[in-house]
Amino acid sequence: MSSRMDTIWAKLDRKSTAIAEFTMRQYRTRISTWVVMIASALALFLMLLFYIEAMNTEIEAIDNDGDSFDTDGDGYPDGQERLEGTNPNSAESFPDWVEPDPPEKWINEDDIDWEILGDGENYVGNDDDGDCTNLDTSSQRDSNDNGRECDILVTVDALNSTITVDADANVDEDPDEEKYGKEAGHRSFILGIGKFGIVYLLGIFLPLFLATGLIREEMSEGTIHYMLAKPIARGELLLYRMLGYIGITWPFIISICVLLCLITGFTGPGDGFFRWSDIGVWMSIAWATMLVSLVYGTIFCGFGIIWKNGVILAIIFAAWELGMAFVAIFSGGDSSIRYMSVIGWGMIIVDAGVAISWPDNWQLIEIGLWGGGHGEENWLGEMAYVALPAAEPLAAFSGSPNLGVSNWLSFLISTLVLVFQGAMFWFIGQSIFKGKEVD
Amino acid sequence: MIPDVSQHGSAETTEWKPVENTPVIMFDRVSKSYGRINAMNSVSLGISGGVTGILGMNGAGKSTLFKLMMGKIKPSSGAIRLFGTDPWKNPAPYSRVGFVPEHEKMYDWMTAFDFVTTFARLHGMTREEASKEATRVLSFVSLGDVMHKRIGQFSKGMRQRVKIAHALVNDPELIILDEPLQGCDPLARTTIMNVIKELGAMGRTVLVSSHILHEIERITEQIVILHRGRILALGNSHAIREMLDQHPHKIELECDEPRKLARSMLAIDEVTGISFSSPTKLLIETQHLGEVHKKLPSTIMESGSTVTAIDNPDDDLQSILMYLTGGAL
Repeated sequence: MSSRMDTIWAKLDRKSTAIAEFTMRQYRTRISTWVVMIASALALFLMLLFYIEAMNTEIEAIDNDGDSFDTDGDGYPDGQERLEGTNPNSAESFPDWVEPDPPEKWINEDDIDWEILGDGENYVGNDDDGDCTNLDTSSQRDSNDNGRECDILVTVDALNSTITVDADANVDEDPDEEKYGKEAGHRSFILGIGKFGIVYLLGIFLPLFLATGLIREEMSEGTIHYMLAKPIARGELLLYRMLGYIGITWPFIISICVLLCLITGFTGPGDGFFRWSDIGVWMSIAWATMLVSLVYGTIFCGFGIIWKNGVILAIIFAAWELGMAFVAIFSGGDSSIRYMSVIGWGMIIVDAGVAISWPDNWQLIEIGLWGGGHGEENWLGEMAYVALPAAEPLAAFSGSPNLGVSNWLSFLISTLVLVFQGAMFWFIGQSIFKGKEVD
Repeated sequence: MIPDVSQHGSAETTEWKPVENTPVIMFDRVSKSYGRINAMNSVSLGISGGVTGILGMNGAGKSTLFKLMMGKIKPSSGAIRLFGTDPWKNPAPYSRVGFVPEHEKMYDWMTAFDFVTTFARLHGMTREEASKEATRVLSFVSLGDVMHKRIGQFSKGMRQRVKIAHALVNDPELIILDEPLQGCDPLARTTIMNVIKELGAMGRTVLVSSHILHEIERITEQIVILHRGRILALGNSHAIREMLDQHPHKIELECDEPRKLARSMLAIDEVTGISFSSPTKLLIETQHLGEVHKKLPSTIMESGSTVTAIDNPDDDLQSILMYLTGGAL
């Protein structure tokens, strides 16, 4: 048994490495390979310029509660007058025992300072500027009626990833836009460029240009006759050609992700010198792209075998996948039609990676969407909060794996599904190839 | 382990072994049609040993014959056996075959050495074995000194020899060469012809296709003539030629004074007709080509005219075909 297995492996190894190496060398000698890679890298790094600019531009601070304004014109901002107990609406009443504060001090003065939230009810919030504690009556100070004055009751439903915020008046009502916006902007960039730019676009363009001709070009140029005259099954040939394709595309995908991870990790917001928690997200983006490009590569290579203009079929398929990519990204994991695609499973890998690496991500979104509790009642009588900067894009690009299992298991299941898809399309491709007459 | 994709049903449990005592190649009433066009029409053939020339005009079915042998296309009906195995279903017999395709396209970016070693490894050789064998076969086709140059820099004849070398790397029992001499310069032709003859002398089965009779005659006497997908004649080239000798032939002489020469030519008994194809050309008709050729030099001398060229316009495949098909080409 073992010696026979050894012989088979040794022969397989010789043939597989010969074709894989040959295929990789063939890619390297083609200008088209380099054009595709350089163009996609350039496009991604162009997007990175927008990110770097955004990270280096200060987000304008907004006085959400309006207390930096001096209504009565006595030189003291409203917030300071409230804190000191004078009437902000009367020019005669002002705290003459203190110097007037500059108005900037009363902007972003009551930030959202919540501890990490647990499942169930959380009592958080801190009235940093004293405009809640200074209210006259207890019922005013406890407007949410939970028996605690000047706090926020946050009810977390971790199972459904929802948060209900019920705040007392004037608590955490003037959040720091810069701090929140940079963090949320950084994450939305990673998810936006990761999910759409890398997993979908890179994942589909590399195989479109590099895999469609893997067998077809050999057939149309007649060079396939050299390979088919050797004692090697056509299915094996297809498999080893795919190995060569992986040998070129996977290192490229990994290098792109490592580079972007390094650049955004160092320039991104945060106290540390590097954003270590992003590494897991980048790894899941790279892994999803590798698997997705493998499945697309197998499909497109099969299209090339079926028809000499297989690239047309590939483009039609890419259009379907584009629709699925939008569904998978913007449904936030709620749509089940994404299971009928390749990209949908790739997005689940990223979402699972995000849930593992940034466990606070969905809470960050909910906080940003609440944004201090300012807004107007809409025609349904519900409060429509004004979201903090970058909270809405982050909400749009984030999703939940939503497979009903743990994040790690979702990661594993979607990986297995993609591997299975790749194997299935290889099997279909080699069946077609085997029955194909090569003239 | 990957599934056995080359076979139907379950994986094979026994190792492939060639069937003994069968012809190397066996065609049994094989037909191949593309839509309404019959590329191969009920061909039966068995070949073992020696060099065989496959002759035929363009489109006669030479390449179709080879593609069927190599399992690249599937016969519409009939059975093909390569070392006793159906080549369409099983690539295993290719380990004993070397195939030189007719396509000119090669991997120009590779060196001859890389090209041969890469395909040698598809026979299951290790890198060391492959480079040893590659050096051997490239020297065999006299490319030993340039084997580390890129194929793109090679001339037509050298490329053709690289292709032959890559086919010989597994020391095959059967070598198939599809139009190996096409487009080669005279030196390359001679080298390739010698290589083919040598392979035949080594006891290998060699199949060479061509559409030029002289080329094949210089390599082998055993020929198969294909025409419109059928085997028209099969056997020794001398025998076929002898039949032809009884057939009217033409000799074309290019000279300065055709009329003067014509008078002398009429003196030869075997000459049955004379015509002037152009002001400087004289066309002689005869039933006995050999006899006329013997008497030609002295007759020309006697006439005193200057002959610049002698040509047998119908001593080629086309005239053989013309004869064999009774004039219905």
